Amino acid sequence: SQTLLGSVPRRLVAVVPVEYKPPSTETNPTLEDPTPDYMNLLGMIFSMCGLMLKLKWCAWIAVYCSFISFANSRSSEDTKQMMSSFMLSISAVVMSYLQNPQPMSPPW
Amino acid sequence: IILFTTFVSGSGGRYNDDFDDGEDLADFDDNDFAEFEDMNDDLAAEAETAPPPRVSPSSQPEEDEDEATVELEDGQDGFDDSETQDQDMYSKYDQEEFEGVGDMEKTGHSMKDPLIIHTVPAHLQNSWESYYMEILMVTGLLAYIMNYIIGKNKNSRLAQAWFNSHRELLESNFALVGDDGTSKEAVSTGKLNQENEHIYNLWCSGRVCCEGMLIQLKFLKRQDLLNVLARMMRPACDQVQIKVTLNDEDMDTFVFAVGTKKAMARLQKEMQDLSEFCGDKPKSGAKYGLPESLAILTEMGEVTDGVMDNKMVHYITNHADKIESIHFSDQFSGPKVMQEEGQPLKLPETKKTLLFTFNVPGMGNTSPKDMDTLLPLMNMVIYSIDKVKKLRLNREGKQKADRNRARVEENFLKQTHAQRQEAAQTRREEKKRAEKERIMNEEDPERQRRLEREPDSMPR
Repeated sequence: SQTLLGSVPRRLVAVVPVEYKPPSTETNPTLEDPTPDYMNLLGMIFSMCGLMLKLKWCAWIAVYCSFISFANSRSSEDTKQMMSSFMLSISAVVMSYLQNPQPMSPPW
Repeated sequence: IILFTTFVSGSGGRYNDDFDDGEDLADFDDNDFAEFEDMNDDLAAEAETAPPPRVSPSSQPEEDEDEATVELEDGQDGFDDSETQDQDMYSKYDQEEFEGVGDMEKTGHSMKDPLIIHTVPAHLQNSWESYYMEILMVTGLLAYIMNYIIGKNKNSRLAQAWFNSHRELLESNFALVGDDGTSKEAVSTGKLNQENEHIYNLWCSGRVCCEGMLIQLKFLKRQDLLNVLARMMRPACDQVQIKVTLNDEDMDTFVFAVGTKKAMARLQKEMQDLSEFCGDKPKSGAKYGLPESLAILTEMGEVTDGVMDNKMVHYITNHADKIESIHFSDQFSGPKVMQEEGQPLKLPETKKTLLFTFNVPGMGNTSPKDMDTLLPLMNMVIYSIDKVKKLRLNREGKQKADRNRARVEENFLKQTHAQRQEAAQTRREEKKRAEKERIMNEEDPERQRRLEREPDSMPR
């Protein structure tokens, strides 16, 4: 349907459309949500703790962190980074259980 | 013989007890069954006085005793008489001679305690139940994944619903609807560009009066379970942000904003242009016929009169609950940029922009049907574009506006004057240092030749 807004009908004016430029968040990264980066880092720290100190709960928290990081990730994020953090946390859990098959005891 | 064997088996447990040794010596003097006699009497006395306080420790020996006594009763009758006789005798002697018996009873029972049944520690058990923490963790992960899928789908459905209801309006107003920036030519993709699981973009262009319009559907992070839980504490709503960039000839020089009081206070602090040009505190919108909840920030009164014509007031009043902020500015450069080295050295680039932020009704619990209610707001946006093109300040207003802009630029230059001088100084010093280094690095004969000459005449 033809919409007349203002005094100039659109079809009578030759307008050259302008291409899309990505928004300025690339030049100003502080505007972006830092959650996926923090969660990625936390996940890696926890999985290293879980592996080195043989703490099962650290490894589980690392798995959670990498899941949260994935859910919050931006489309421009590297999937390799995400996959590597995920694999690291899974390997931390598996190694903890191979070394010590006993169930995890709650902290209380 | 049967009786004897049962007595022996019954007493087998008791041979572990300490007090038996003492009693054995005393009792075996009289008859072979004196030992058992005491045990039976102990039992009888115990049953008469009070029920045993500890069921588990004493139950085992008691059971043996019961078995033993049952066997006895079932056994030969001959012993019954003697047993009862013995019991009578024993009870006669009880008060007079057997003073310590009560104590011994108690100690006997207390010494029976060591037979406590412990539960096997969890880490030695081999059942699934002991892994309950792990099962809990995996369940949590599954819940997170489920929520991710559900949230992602909900956001996607909301975005599609919004686009379906607005598609016709957009396509009739813009030549190019939807461009993700990947193709070289400006070809309309006709669909939303998904940036994230909760952010969708749409670029529209090809219309008179504006360079282009970027619509961002900023939904809540329904795909992240943590966010969902956080929102239960602090409700938030989905937002639609529209940014219309105008060509230079499409807008006169003014800065104006209207929106909720909270949003106005925040924008005045955060936005570069609003803080510089709209110095006064936000005024209530009631003066112009808007609801009380809305406030206005403006560069000058004439601008407000020009923007708030009847139709705009009508639009805003009818949809006041969905309007978060509306911001028109010819000096828009985004939020204030905080830099470590103090003020930035040159004025930020400005662009003539109209910004709209709308709240989707439902406060998070939106359904795709709610997206239709945003359609009138899009009409308002298009109306605003045309209006701003036509809005021109009169001579007095224009002079004021020009003076404001000159003032802002002057202030900026003054503030950065010291820094710019410093920067120029350091640049000069660095140049000299570079020169000296070049002289030093040359080989000897060349160096000598150059040093003899004036340093300034050296080729750069």
